[in-house]
Amino acid sequence: MAVDDAVRTALEREVGVEHEELLGEISATLTRRYAAAVGDSDPLYHDAAYAKSLGYANVVAPANFLPGVICWSEGAPYDRLREDGTEADTHLPGVPAKGVRVMGGGEEMHFTRPVVAGTVVSRRTVLLDVTPRDTKQGLMLVARYQDEYVDEGGQELLRSVRTVLLR
Amino acid sequence: MTTPSDLRVGSALAAQTNNTSITQVFRYSAATWNTHRIHYDKEYALKEGYPDVLVQSHLHGALLTKYCTDWAGRAARLTDLSLRVRRFAVAGETLSIVGTVRAVRAGDERRALVDLDLVETRGSDGETCVEASATIEVPRSWIGEGILP
Repeated sequence: MAVDDAVRTALEREVGVEHEELLGEISATLTRRYAAAVGDSDPLYHDAAYAKSLGYANVVAPANFLPGVICWSEGAPYDRLREDGTEADTHLPGVPAKGVRVMGGGEEMHFTRPVVAGTVVSRRTVLLDVTPRDTKQGLMLVARYQDEYVDEGGQELLRSVRTVLLR
Repeated sequence: MTTPSDLRVGSALAAQTNNTSITQVFRYSAATWNTHRIHYDKEYALKEGYPDVLVQSHLHGALLTKYCTDWAGRAARLTDLSLRVRRFAVAGETLSIVGTVRAVRAGDERRALVDLDLVETRGSDGETCVEASATIEVPRSWIGEGILP
Protein backbone atom coordinates (compact mmCIF):
# COMPACT_ATOMS: atom_id res chain seq x y z
CA MET A 1 0.00 0.00 0.00
CA ALA A 2 1.07 3.55 -0.67
CA VAL A 3 -0.78 6.80 -0.09
CA ASP A 4 -4.12 6.99 -1.87
CA ASP A 5 -7.28 9.07 -1.68
CA ALA A 6 -8.34 7.29 1.52
CA VAL A 7 -5.08 8.30 3.22
CA ARG A 8 -5.48 11.79 1.85
CA THR A 9 -9.03 12.02 3.22
CA ALA A 10 -7.93 10.71 6.62
CA LEU A 11 -5.11 13.21 6.75
CA GLU A 12 -7.30 16.09 5.60
CA ARG A 13 -9.63 15.40 8.54
CA GLU A 14 -6.72 16.41 10.74
CA VAL A 15 -6.28 19.82 9.09
CA GLY A 16 -6.84 22.53 11.68
CA VAL A 17 -7.07 20.13 14.65
CA GLU A 18 -4.73 21.30 17.40
CA HIS A 19 -2.81 18.77 19.46
CA GLU A 20 -1.06 19.84 22.66
CA GLU A 21 1.59 17.70 24.27
CA LEU A 22 3.65 18.16 27.42
CA LEU A 23 7.14 17.22 26.28
CA GLY A 24 8.57 17.42 29.78
CA GLU A 25 11.70 18.87 31.34
CA ILE A 26 14.61 19.29 28.99
CA SER A 27 17.54 17.53 30.60
CA ALA A 28 21.14 18.68 30.28
CA THR A 29 22.16 15.17 29.26
CA LEU A 30 19.73 15.17 26.36
CA THR A 31 20.84 18.55 25.02
CA ARG A 32 24.51 17.65 25.49
CA ARG A 33 23.97 14.39 23.60
CA TYR A 34 22.22 16.29 20.85
CA ALA A 35 25.13 18.73 20.50
CA ALA A 36 27.61 15.85 20.59
CA ALA A 37 25.72 13.99 17.86
CA VAL A 38 25.78 17.10 15.68
CA GLY A 39 29.49 17.52 16.37
CA ASP A 40 29.08 20.92 18.00
CA SER A 41 31.59 21.44 20.82
CA ASP A 42 30.48 24.97 21.73
CA PRO A 43 30.93 25.14 25.53
CA LEU A 44 27.57 26.88 25.80
CA TYR A 45 26.00 23.49 25.01
CA HIS A 46 28.26 21.40 27.25
CA ASP A 47 29.71 23.40 30.14
CA ALA A 48 27.19 24.53 32.77
CA ALA A 49 29.71 26.82 34.50
CA TYR A 50 30.45 28.54 31.20
CA ALA A 51 26.73 28.91 30.43
CA LYS A 52 26.17 30.37 33.91
CA SER A 53 28.96 32.87 33.32
CA LEU A 54 26.87 34.14 30.41
CA GLY A 55 23.76 34.45 32.57
CA TYR A 56 22.00 31.16 31.77
CA ALA A 57 20.76 28.84 34.51
CA ASN A 58 22.31 25.78 32.81
CA VAL A 59 23.63 24.59 29.47
CA VAL A 60 21.71 25.81 26.42
CA ALA A 61 20.39 23.56 23.66
CA PRO A 62 21.48 24.08 20.04
CA ALA A 63 18.87 26.22 18.30
CA ASN A 64 17.13 23.47 16.33
CA PHE A 65 17.17 20.92 19.15
CA LEU A 66 13.42 21.02 19.89
CA PRO A 67 12.17 20.29 16.34
CA GLY A 68 15.04 17.84 15.86
CA VAL A 69 13.68 15.47 18.49
CA ILE A 70 11.14 13.19 16.80
CA CYS A 71 9.62 11.50 19.84
CA TRP A 72 9.40 12.77 23.41
CA SER A 73 7.79 9.72 24.98
CA GLU A 74 9.24 6.33 25.90
CA GLY A 75 8.37 5.08 22.41
CA ALA A 76 5.57 3.00 20.95
CA PRO A 77 5.28 -0.80 21.20
CA TYR A 78 6.68 -2.60 18.16
CA ASP A 79 3.22 -3.46 16.84
CA ARG A 80 2.46 0.26 16.60
CA LEU A 81 5.36 1.05 14.30
CA ARG A 82 4.90 1.65 10.60
CA GLU A 83 6.86 -0.41 8.11
CA ASP A 84 9.41 2.39 7.90
CA GLY A 85 9.94 2.31 11.68
CA THR A 86 8.11 5.54 12.53
CA GLU A 87 5.56 5.58 15.32
CA ALA A 88 1.96 5.34 14.23
CA ASP A 89 0.29 6.93 17.25
CA THR A 90 2.49 9.81 18.30
CA HIS A 91 3.77 10.77 14.87
CA LEU A 92 1.45 12.15 12.18
CA PRO A 93 -2.05 11.50 13.57
CA GLY A 94 -4.45 10.34 10.86
CA VAL A 95 -1.82 8.52 8.84
CA PRO A 96 -2.27 4.71 8.75
CA ALA A 97 0.21 2.55 10.63
CA LYS A 98 1.09 0.39 7.65
CA GLY A 99 2.35 1.06 4.17
CA VAL A 100 2.89 4.82 4.25
CA ARG A 101 6.42 6.07 3.81
CA VAL A 102 7.33 9.29 5.59
CA MET A 103 10.19 11.69 4.87
CA GLY A 104 11.15 15.15 6.05
CA GLY A 105 11.03 17.77 3.30
CA GLY A 106 12.20 20.89 5.07
CA GLU A 107 11.36 23.30 7.83
CA GLU A 108 10.94 26.99 8.61
CA MET A 109 12.01 27.80 12.17
CA HIS A 110 11.80 30.97 14.24
CA PHE A 111 13.95 30.87 17.36
CA THR A 112 12.21 33.08 19.90
CA ARG A 113 14.17 32.28 23.07
CA PRO A 114 17.13 30.09 23.96
CA VAL A 115 16.15 26.71 25.40
CA VAL A 116 17.98 26.17 28.69
CA ALA A 117 18.29 22.74 30.32
CA GLY A 118 15.71 22.43 33.09
CA THR A 119 12.97 24.17 31.11
CA VAL A 120 9.63 22.34 30.99
CA VAL A 121 8.38 22.45 27.41
CA SER A 122 5.00 21.90 25.78
CA ARG A 123 4.20 21.77 22.08
CA ARG A 124 1.09 22.74 20.17
CA THR A 125 0.85 21.13 16.74
CA VAL A 126 -1.62 21.75 13.96
CA LEU A 127 -1.70 20.35 10.43
CA LEU A 128 -1.92 23.39 8.17
CA ASP A 129 -2.62 21.78 4.81
CA VAL A 130 -2.17 18.70 2.64
CA THR A 131 -1.21 19.03 -1.02
CA PRO A 132 -1.27 16.06 -3.44
CA ARG A 133 1.56 15.79 -5.94
CA ASP A 134 1.95 13.34 -8.81
CA THR A 135 5.45 11.87 -8.95
CA LYS A 136 7.19 9.13 -10.93
CA GLN A 137 6.64 6.86 -7.92
CA GLY A 138 2.92 7.69 -7.80
CA LEU A 139 0.89 9.94 -5.53
CA MET A 140 2.78 11.89 -2.91
CA LEU A 141 1.17 14.00 -0.21
CA VAL A 142 2.91 17.10 1.06
CA ALA A 143 1.74 17.91 4.59
CA ARG A 144 2.71 21.07 6.45
CA TYR A 145 2.62 21.03 10.24
CA GLN A 146 2.95 24.09 12.46
CA ASP A 147 4.58 23.51 15.84
CA GLU A 148 4.76 26.02 18.66
CA TYR A 149 6.99 25.23 21.64
CA VAL A 150 6.35 27.06 24.90
CA ASP A 151 7.80 26.97 28.41
CA GLU A 152 5.87 26.35 31.63
CA GLY A 153 4.99 30.05 31.79
CA GLY A 154 3.50 29.94 28.29
CA GLN A 155 6.33 31.94 26.74
CA GLU A 156 7.15 30.96 23.21
CA LEU A 157 10.52 29.31 22.71
CA LEU A 158 10.34 28.37 19.05
CA ARG A 159 7.79 28.03 16.31
CA SER A 160 8.17 26.17 13.09
CA VAL A 161 6.42 24.94 9.99
CA ARG A 162 7.73 21.56 8.88
CA THR A 163 7.05 19.85 5.59
CA VAL A 164 6.47 16.10 5.62
CA LEU A 165 6.40 14.02 2.45
CA LEU A 166 4.21 10.91 2.43
CA ARG A 167 4.08 8.33 -0.31
CA MET B 1 35.54 34.67 6.57
CA THR B 2 33.34 37.71 6.24
CA THR B 3 34.02 40.01 9.17
CA PRO B 4 31.69 42.66 10.51
CA SER B 5 33.68 45.33 8.70
CA ASP B 6 32.87 43.93 5.25
CA LEU B 7 29.30 42.81 5.88
CA ARG B 8 27.41 43.88 2.81
CA VAL B 9 25.00 42.41 0.28
CA GLY B 10 26.77 39.78 -1.79
CA SER B 11 29.52 39.09 0.76
CA ALA B 12 30.39 35.40 0.86
CA LEU B 13 30.98 33.72 4.20
CA ALA B 14 33.64 31.06 4.59
CA ALA B 15 32.57 27.54 3.73
CA GLN B 16 32.25 24.88 6.43
CA THR B 17 32.76 21.21 5.67
CA ASN B 18 31.13 18.38 7.61
CA ASN B 19 32.30 14.81 7.20
CA THR B 20 29.22 12.80 8.08
CA SER B 21 29.54 9.17 9.09
CA ILE B 22 27.30 6.23 9.79
CA THR B 23 28.19 6.68 13.45
CA GLN B 24 27.04 10.28 13.38
CA VAL B 25 23.79 9.39 11.64
CA PHE B 26 23.16 6.65 14.20
CA ARG B 27 23.96 8.93 17.14
CA TYR B 28 21.70 11.65 15.74
CA SER B 29 18.84 9.15 15.39
CA ALA B 30 19.48 7.95 18.94
CA ALA B 31 19.66 11.45 20.44
CA THR B 32 16.40 12.44 18.73
CA TRP B 33 14.60 9.07 19.02
CA ASN B 34 14.25 8.98 15.25
CA THR B 35 13.26 5.38 14.53
CA HIS B 36 12.95 5.73 10.75
CA ARG B 37 14.72 2.72 9.20
CA ILE B 38 16.02 4.79 6.30
CA HIS B 39 18.67 6.13 8.70
CA TYR B 40 20.06 2.83 10.07
CA ASP B 41 18.86 -0.08 7.95
CA LYS B 42 20.90 -0.24 4.74
CA GLU B 43 18.81 -3.09 3.34
CA TYR B 44 15.69 -0.97 3.78
CA ALA B 45 17.42 2.03 2.21
CA LEU B 46 18.45 -0.07 -0.80
CA LYS B 47 14.88 -1.31 -1.16
CA GLU B 48 13.77 2.32 -1.21
CA GLY B 49 16.19 3.03 -4.05
CA TYR B 50 18.98 4.74 -2.13
CA PRO B 51 22.62 3.63 -2.14
CA ASP B 52 22.94 3.70 1.66
CA VAL B 53 21.30 5.01 4.81
CA LEU B 54 20.35 8.68 4.64
CA VAL B 55 21.38 11.76 6.59
CA GLN B 56 18.31 13.01 8.49
CA SER B 57 16.68 16.20 7.25
CA HIS B 58 16.98 17.53 10.81
CA LEU B 59 20.71 16.74 10.84
CA HIS B 60 21.04 18.82 7.69
CA GLY B 61 19.21 21.51 9.65
CA ALA B 62 21.51 21.05 12.62
CA LEU B 63 24.61 21.47 10.46
CA LEU B 64 23.14 24.62 8.94
CA THR B 65 22.29 25.87 12.44
CA LYS B 66 25.88 25.24 13.53
CA TYR B 67 27.18 27.09 10.49
CA CYS B 68 25.09 30.13 11.41
CA THR B 69 25.83 30.09 15.14
CA ASP B 70 29.57 29.55 14.55
CA TRP B 71 29.55 32.62 12.32
CA ALA B 72 27.35 34.67 14.63
CA GLY B 73 29.38 34.04 17.78
CA ARG B 74 28.18 35.36 21.13
CA ALA B 75 27.40 38.92 20.05
CA ALA B 76 24.84 37.95 17.42
CA ARG B 77 21.78 35.66 17.48
CA LEU B 78 20.23 33.32 14.94
CA THR B 79 16.53 34.19 14.77
CA ASP B 80 15.25 32.29 11.73
CA LEU B 81 16.29 29.34 9.61
CA SER B 82 14.33 27.87 6.71
CA LEU B 83 15.55 24.90 4.72
CA ARG B 84 14.36 22.78 1.86
CA VAL B 85 15.88 19.38 1.18
CA ARG B 86 16.53 19.07 -2.56
CA ARG B 87 18.53 15.86 -2.72
CA PHE B 88 19.45 13.12 -0.30
CA ALA B 89 22.85 12.60 1.27
CA VAL B 90 24.04 9.22 2.46
CA ALA B 91 25.98 8.60 5.66
CA GLY B 92 29.66 9.13 4.95
CA GLU B 93 29.02 11.98 2.53
CA THR B 94 31.02 15.18 2.93
CA LEU B 95 28.65 18.14 3.13
CA SER B 96 29.86 21.67 2.51
CA ILE B 97 27.89 24.74 3.49
CA VAL B 98 28.46 28.23 2.20
CA GLY B 99 26.50 31.39 2.93
CA THR B 100 26.04 34.66 1.09
CA VAL B 101 24.63 37.89 2.49
CA ARG B 102 21.31 38.51 0.72
CA ALA B 103 20.22 41.59 2.66
CA VAL B 104 21.19 43.83 5.55
CA ARG B 105 18.23 45.41 7.29
CA ALA B 106 17.70 47.85 10.11
CA GLY B 107 16.50 46.34 13.40
CA ASP B 108 16.15 48.56 16.42
CA GLU B 109 18.54 51.25 17.68
CA ARG B 110 21.20 48.71 18.65
CA ARG B 111 20.62 45.80 16.29
CA ALA B 112 20.56 45.06 12.58
CA LEU B 113 19.35 41.99 10.73
CA VAL B 114 21.48 40.08 8.26
CA ASP B 115 19.72 37.71 5.84
CA LEU B 116 21.79 34.87 4.46
CA ASP B 117 21.28 32.48 1.57
CA LEU B 118 22.81 29.11 2.38
CA VAL B 119 23.62 26.18 0.14
CA GLU B 120 24.70 22.74 1.29
CA THR B 121 26.35 20.58 -1.35
CA ARG B 122 27.55 16.99 -1.27
CA GLY B 123 31.21 16.35 -1.98
CA SER B 124 30.72 13.24 -4.10
CA ASP B 125 29.22 15.10 -7.06
CA GLY B 126 28.84 18.76 -6.06
CA GLU B 127 25.04 18.58 -6.22
CA THR B 128 22.94 20.74 -3.93
CA CYS B 129 21.36 18.81 -1.06
CA VAL B 130 19.76 21.69 0.83
CA GLU B 131 18.84 25.27 0.05
CA ALA B 132 18.27 27.46 3.07
CA SER B 133 17.92 30.99 4.30
CA ALA B 134 18.69 32.43 7.70
CA THR B 135 18.31 35.67 9.57
CA ILE B 136 20.87 36.70 12.16
CA GLU B 137 20.44 39.62 14.53
CA VAL B 138 23.78 41.41 14.82
CA PRO B 139 25.03 44.48 16.71
CA ARG B 140 24.37 47.58 14.65
CA SER B 141 28.04 48.43 15.12
CA TRP B 142 28.88 45.49 12.82
CA ILE B 143 27.32 47.32 9.87
CA GLY B 144 29.53 49.73 8.01
CA GLU B 145 28.65 53.30 7.11
CA GLY B 146 26.14 53.66 4.30
CA ILE B 147 25.03 50.01 4.31
CA LEU B 148 21.71 50.41 6.10
CA PRO B 149 18.93 52.30 4.35
